[in-house]
Amino acid sequence: MAIITISRGSYSRGKEVAEAVAERLGYECISRDVLLEASKRFNIPEVKLIHAIHDAPTLLRRMGRDRRRYIAYIRSALTARVRRDNVVYHGLAGHILLEGVSHVLKVRIIADIEDRVTAEVDREGISREKARALLLKDDEERRKWTQSLYGKDPWDCHLYDLVIHVQKLTVEDAVDFICQAAAKPQFQATKASQQKLDDLALACQVKAAIVDIDRDAGVTCEYGNLLIYTPAGERMVRRLQKRAAQLQREIEGINNLEVRAGKPPEGAV
Amino acid sequence: MQPLTTEMILVMVMIGVAVFLFIVEWVRVDVVAILMMVALPLLHLVTPKEAFVGLSSNAVVSIIAVIIIGAGLDKTGVINRMVAPIIRLAGNSASRVVIFISLAVAGISSFMQNIGAAALFLPAIQRISKRLKIPLSRLLMPIGFSAILGGTITLVGCSPLILLNDLLAPFNLKPFGLFDVTPIGLTLVASGIACFIFLGRFILPSGAGPDKESDTAEAEVEPLMAFGEMYELHTPPDFTHYRDPVLVEDLRRRYLVHTLAITEPPDFKVISPPPDTEIRSDIDLVVYGRLEDVQRMAENEGMELKDSLQIFQSDVSEERGGIVEAVVAPRSSLEGKTLKEVNLQDRFRVTPLAVYRKGQTYRAEIDDLPLSVGDAVLLYGSWSRLSLLQAEKSFLFTTPIDTEQMRPEKAAFAAFWLVLALTMVMGFHIQLSVSLMTGALGMIITRVLSIDEAYQSVDWRTIFLLAGLIPLGIATEKTGAAAWIAHAVLQTIGTVQPIVLLTVIGILSTIFTLVISNVGATVLLVPLVVNMAMAAHTDPRMAALVVGLATSNSFILPTHQVNALYMGPGGYRSVDFMKAGLVMTVVFIVVMIGMIYLIYGV
Repeated sequence: MAIITISRGSYSRGKEVAEAVAERLGYECISRDVLLEASKRFNIPEVKLIHAIHDAPTLLRRMGRDRRRYIAYIRSALTARVRRDNVVYHGLAGHILLEGVSHVLKVRIIADIEDRVTAEVDREGISREKARALLLKDDEERRKWTQSLYGKDPWDCHLYDLVIHVQKLTVEDAVDFICQAAAKPQFQATKASQQKLDDLALACQVKAAIVDIDRDAGVTCEYGNLLIYTPAGERMVRRLQKRAAQLQREIEGINNLEVRAGKPPEGAV
Repeated sequence: MQPLTTEMILVMVMIGVAVFLFIVEWVRVDVVAILMMVALPLLHLVTPKEAFVGLSSNAVVSIIAVIIIGAGLDKTGVINRMVAPIIRLAGNSASRVVIFISLAVAGISSFMQNIGAAALFLPAIQRISKRLKIPLSRLLMPIGFSAILGGTITLVGCSPLILLNDLLAPFNLKPFGLFDVTPIGLTLVASGIACFIFLGRFILPSGAGPDKESDTAEAEVEPLMAFGEMYELHTPPDFTHYRDPVLVEDLRRRYLVHTLAITEPPDFKVISPPPDTEIRSDIDLVVYGRLEDVQRMAENEGMELKDSLQIFQSDVSEERGGIVEAVVAPRSSLEGKTLKEVNLQDRFRVTPLAVYRKGQTYRAEIDDLPLSVGDAVLLYGSWSRLSLLQAEKSFLFTTPIDTEQMRPEKAAFAAFWLVLALTMVMGFHIQLSVSLMTGALGMIITRVLSIDEAYQSVDWRTIFLLAGLIPLGIATEKTGAAAWIAHAVLQTIGTVQPIVLLTVIGILSTIFTLVISNVGATVLLVPLVVNMAMAAHTDPRMAALVVGLATSNSFILPTHQVNALYMGPGGYRSVDFMKAGLVMTVVFIVVMIGMIYLIYGV
């Protein structure tokens, strides 16, 4: 009974690992489904969501703002999904989007660049140079993305519980390790950690519902008591209060919802 | 005209320094006053005796006596009991509410401090706003303005008027009687109210008002923010087994349930336990919260919810303690601080339950909310603890707190001494300070309040502000600086009609009171205008009276304490005060000059 996020570069065989883990444990394996769900629920074309979560931020601020909005939607869809537990997520940025939940097993699968180039050449039928350039660019984009939004480097191994280099170790080995780790008591949902996840999902849901009014607002949730923080001043507080009154009726599980002016605290969604 | 001497220049420099410090507020206004008290004798502008003569002045003694009498009336709960019937009389229409409450507030502030009267009605007005769905912004400003105007009804209504006779003394002018200003004051209040009734919709901000959808159920609930009730719970013997410790703070964060009392083994009872108190096995606790939250907590944490208060019944009963609303006072030390920083729990053993601000109740994580003036905080504590907090004066308590120490049975005595003091002034023309002090002493002797309570009730900030600025007035007069300025001004404007001169003085006082305090403005201007009036052959007493009254004409900027108090809850911006305040200011000057003309025929 766990949530496993598998972070990977392209052609690092992470998807293979994820699918095999899900099959062995009888878990649900999700990735693109989250984007589809977000796209459907918030009526945003999937391609925009993919751009938002994949490409490095552009210099154009407008794009930057939309990105925050889309990420809020994706995060809302993801947290709503993993809340049901027994999930392997191998989409992008899972370890970051689910930060703060203790029973998430965060895995990173890495592979040698030469192996990755070979895999890409095989699949896409392009030259090795081009494939290498594409892969490096891809890695760089990911790095910039996480750094600009969360100030973290995806290659920092401290972000993960388990980093597995698939080279000498096979996909099968990786699956073994992951399944073994997932069975550890630390990664079992407890009442408290499940509550944390429920709170996170609720906060994400509320954030997604207000992000079009105020992108800089932050939401915290503890046991269904939500606080929306806005750095934008009193007028925004009143707008958000109006929306909050609606949300309290629309979203299930909200015990108390308040809006206040100020910088969102650490850990706010 | 006299030549300008070094002393005159020094005095003008000191006035400049005082005005500058009043405006920039690097130090508090009363400290500026004390600075003057010390600096002036050091510069040989006044004698040491004159420097401290303010402390023994009639004005200061009168203010002390007025405050003690006010505290005595407060102790008997007379004024608090007036609130409810007035609210009932006010009925359901916005105009009636404004008229009735404004009149009541004006009446009370004619013999009490304006800010006290304004704070007393704040929660009631908020309730009415909620119940009748009238935006708070349409009610508070008219009522706040009335509280300020009410100060002009009697000579003890506000500090400038109390001060007036003392400032007239050096000129050997006839002092004013207690009710000499009453016709003018009453007309001012009436025109203020009329102004809002007829022009309210143009000059008041429309305001969104309370959210019409969200408050249907709780609208009738009293008091304002009481969102829950007290419940007693019991933890099972295995409560702490196999789990992380549950703290008082956890219950508050998770369920918005506040622990008011808890038992500690073997049989100690702790009232208002600190947030880091652990909830142990097999103990009892009393919490405050909404029933659904308490039920949720009992279920999730495995506690047993009792049908009624049992073990703690007497400890949390209304005789021992209760829930009160406290408003953050203007210039309070609490402003800008969070409840966590203020640490009420440790210092006073009272538990903050909720914060009410601009029509919104905040219940979650209120510890991190920076407080601003006008915020109402719902507090639970024992009466003795709450009265300690009250003595600190950072909060204005809107509900009488210490029932144990309340003396409603003394109401008749309190009323008697007030009437006696007033009779002494009016009937026997005994000096104001002597009469009022007699009333204050009478209250102490008949045990309406104890002498210690009397001392505690005196606001030393006001006393030193008054006493410290009086030598500045003396210095301006003694060195001839006042006469010099007066002549200089008159030379510039030429010969004018007395009524024009009084109007100019009125406008001047209004401007001064907006930037420096009303007391400061009075002290500086009275010697000046008396000199001006004498030189221009106008009645100097009237010129002084104009200053005394017009320094209450403080509406354009939210600098007056009452305006500062109502600004937050009403959601007003400075521009709202400018709009309504400008109209009010013009009306004030016109009515004041008109009434002086009618009554005294200048």
